[in-house]
Amino acid sequence: MSKEAVSNEALEIEDPNIALQNSDDFIELRTKFRKFVFPMTAAFLAWYFFYVLLAVFAHDFMGTRVIGNITWGLFLGLMQFVTTFAITIIYVRWAGREFDPRAEALAQKMGAVK
Amino acid sequence: MNPAATIAAIVAVSIASLAVGAFGLRFSRTVSDFYVASRGVGPVLNASAISGEYLSAASFLGVAGLILARGVDMLWLPVGWTAGYLLLLVFVAAPLRRSGAYTLPDFAALRTESQTARRVASALVVAIGLLYLIPQFQGAGLTLRTLTGAPSWVGQVAVAVVVCLAVLPGGMRSVTLVQAFHYWLKLLALLTPVFFLLVALASRDGADAVGTLGAVDVTDWVEPLGGDHALYLTYSLVLATFLGAMGLPHVVVRFYTNPDGRAARRTTLVVLALLSGFYLLPILYGVLGRLLAFDLVASGRTDSVVLELPSRVFDGVLGQALTALVGAGAFAAFLSTSTGLVVSVAGVLSQDLLRSGPGHRHGIRTFRLATVIAVAVGVVLTFLSVNVPVAHAVELAFAVAASTFCPLLVLGIWWRGLTAVGAVAGLVVGGGLSGSAVLATTFGVDRGDWLGVIISQPAAVTVPTTFATMVLGSLLTRGRRPEHVAQTMVRLHAPEHLVLNRGPFHPERTTVHRTEPTARRG
Repeated sequence: MSKEAVSNEALEIEDPNIALQNSDDFIELRTKFRKFVFPMTAAFLAWYFFYVLLAVFAHDFMGTRVIGNITWGLFLGLMQFVTTFAITIIYVRWAGREFDPRAEALAQKMGAVK
Repeated sequence: MNPAATIAAIVAVSIASLAVGAFGLRFSRTVSDFYVASRGVGPVLNASAISGEYLSAASFLGVAGLILARGVDMLWLPVGWTAGYLLLLVFVAAPLRRSGAYTLPDFAALRTESQTARRVASALVVAIGLLYLIPQFQGAGLTLRTLTGAPSWVGQVAVAVVVCLAVLPGGMRSVTLVQAFHYWLKLLALLTPVFFLLVALASRDGADAVGTLGAVDVTDWVEPLGGDHALYLTYSLVLATFLGAMGLPHVVVRFYTNPDGRAARRTTLVVLALLSGFYLLPILYGVLGRLLAFDLVASGRTDSVVLELPSRVFDGVLGQALTALVGAGAFAAFLSTSTGLVVSVAGVLSQDLLRSGPGHRHGIRTFRLATVIAVAVGVVLTFLSVNVPVAHAVELAFAVAASTFCPLLVLGIWWRGLTAVGAVAGLVVGGGLSGSAVLATTFGVDRGDWLGVIISQPAAVTVPTTFATMVLGSLLTRGRRPEHVAQTMVRLHAPEHLVLNRGPFHPERTTVHRTEPTARRG
């Protein structure tokens, strides 16, 4: 958040929403989310783009047969489905274990009813 | 070949879809039901419906055809479609759901507080929806022509009529059940013939079916990414499919049907399992097609490989039964995607362009009128359009979505600096550039130079351009940030059971959700 944005909001500081948004707990929650999700996304995008690079520049390797007609290219291609699924499982578990309880605690603290 | 069995199967699928829809109708009572099934659908049912809707003509016919023709390059299409869902889940799904907006134009209006942004977004939803509807109708025409010899328009009109009948009575709630049913039908329709084909190959060639598949001549096939500009084309395709999924109107709206964020995450997990499982089958069809129906490549009919394979191996009753099953599955694919698209397009049309008066009755009547208009325009455009291969037509729709709604959603959710001017400028520039590329491709502009390459896969150029335009436009109009942007950001990012003032935006227009800032108590 830029300095200017903060000063813009100084006028509205009475609003509990803004108080919440600037509270340490909320900032910590948001940081936690970003620290997990952004590197993870960067990693899996890198892996997909790396596959394309391999396919273009390492023809011989990708054309090498593993079993029968299953080449490394085909094998790694199919592995991309597996990685996508694995990443989603990791994310869903992380969200359930780390993120939701904290969000819940924050909600309690802010006096939520439900 | 006697087409009676196929026609019977297609009629049966249509009737079953309508019957399941009518069953759902009993629960459909409110405007909210109509648009988003009152947000009360369980994860597995919802995931089946999402997958059913997502797996369109391109997935059912197109992927196998492209893999048959062009080899493993085309593996990227299903991989990108699957991974696009992951990006949607991580960056967009939860905040969008918390926003409480029914549609992408709702979101644009909420975030930018600008009616212009809303109208531009509405126009884009309708454009992308129609663009995506065309290959569905084309696929239907192709299927009926291949299997029964009927002219193309018969299949196109048949799908249009069934879609109308399915959407008109029940809105989104009935569509949810119909689409869940369609996913499982599509899976079965591809799985059963593959099973028979593999068994037949195994018994024909002894226990050496793997060896038979291994003997397919694949030298030009296993090496991915042949041809000129392979790196650019593939990166562009990857970008379009990864980022386009979040910008497809009928996909995004599905996330509103989850009861909460946790259920939305579980739903996505199931969706990815269902999608990856399904996508192995078109790949197999592509390989088998290489072995059994290679002549389709020469005659330019690769899109029909899934439909023709069973009858090439089996005669008599078995061949007819399997062909009928595949035909039924293909029809389920056209029906489910088309109904989802029509619901989204009609939703936007009736909310933003045809709104006649307040109240429940009016809302539903306009929605029905909008449905008929959307389907009719889709059919007319299909008649007018040139035949682009089904999967490529869908890629282009993804490219437009990635060049417009993806930047709007990502910047709107994660950057508080986005202003209405920046958003509108980005939507217009991105939509204009990618839209012209699509039109050029559709009308067969074929250039050998770099411009031609970019036109055939525009995403790698147009997506960064849109992001840049939005950022630049917002920075230039820094003083004109939306008045309630701080509240909106809280609304998007705060855990949803926090009772707090999420701002004045209430698309459901009921008084129940009007929450007071009770957070003061803490």
